[in-house]
Amino acid sequence: MLRNLTLLLPALVPSWRFFDIIAPSPRIEYRLLFAEDAPADDWREFRPRPAQVSLPTMFVRLFWNPVWNESLFLVSCAERFLDFPTDHSRQEIARRIAAQVTRETPDAPPLLQFRLVLIAREGDALSRAIAYVSPATERAAA
Amino acid sequence: MTLDLAVRITEILLGLAFIQQSAEHLVRRDEALLFGLRIAVCVLLISGAWTAWALAALVLLSIVILGRFQGPYNGGSDRMGLLALVCLCAIHFMPTLRWQEYIAGYLGAQIVLSYFLSGWVKIINPAWRDGHALRDVFAYSAYPVSEGLRSWRERPRVLLTMSWAVMLFELVFPLALVSQPTLIAALTIAALFHLANACLFGLNRFFWTWIAVYPILFWLQARLF
Repeated sequence: MLRNLTLLLPALVPSWRFFDIIAPSPRIEYRLLFAEDAPADDWREFRPRPAQVSLPTMFVRLFWNPVWNESLFLVSCAERFLDFPTDHSRQEIARRIAAQVTRETPDAPPLLQFRLVLIAREGDALSRAIAYVSPATERAAA
Repeated sequence: MTLDLAVRITEILLGLAFIQQSAEHLVRRDEALLFGLRIAVCVLLISGAWTAWALAALVLLSIVILGRFQGPYNGGSDRMGLLALVCLCAIHFMPTLRWQEYIAGYLGAQIVLSYFLSGWVKIINPAWRDGHALRDVFAYSAYPVSEGLRSWRERPRVLLTMSWAVMLFELVFPLALVSQPTLIAALTIAALFHLANACLFGLNRFFWTWIAVYPILFWLQARLF
């Protein structure tokens, strides 16, 4: 409870530094495996953006936007994990990927691995750097 | 606007904003109980029954939720919601009107600072002044809701204009308190700004949370001038 109270302090004395610097941005990618030593699928981006979002969809999302807000929470988890690695952040990312994979393809391979890729600007081009690769874990146990 | 009225409207709007946020968590089985309880307490708050205790219960639930996610689930919007919640709760338990006004004044000052400081940290950054920062937001940050929006990075003049419009508006926001008409104008622009952020970056929770606390600014403006 004391730890939770310390988490409350930044809300009571906020710093309000929205978008002060545009730091390298993490993307979450994952792949599924049948066994740790088996050939794996290609890495795929978790929840890639759609090409377009219509105005009616934007309007609906003002009231109902759970998937996007969960994705933003996972970005926070990825940033926190890269700054101060904790089991909580790693497990939140793994659990939420596993939940979506299980929902969409229940018979998918049983092992799940994710990695964090940092996107940044270098001159006029964008660069990608792999910042973390998780161990393969049982999807059902994530 | 009287303090009582501003506080009551803020309580209702904040309760509605919390219901909207909490409903989004009901889709997850392991979060449904906690957020279902939060919705029930928000209904109590909006109804006006046991308001002080409903606020106290919401503060306790918020601390549990902070622990569940090891921090805010949704960054700045959660922080503003929490700040407003704690201030509203404290106002109910203060013994005198003067102390109630101190706390409401602190909340009002933080709302003003949320704009002013956001403008300040941008304008001292050369990347914001030359438009590169907003280009990067569209080019590679996690926020644009579609790939189509990323092409905005190829419009440097538009982004430079947008950058300066946002920075200047945020910096002059405190001046809006000089009269009620200027405050209404500034809050209309601010609400449209949050609406644009909700549409382009999916930040819907910011929109509802910031609108919920605007009544406190109407009280503060009337109290100061």
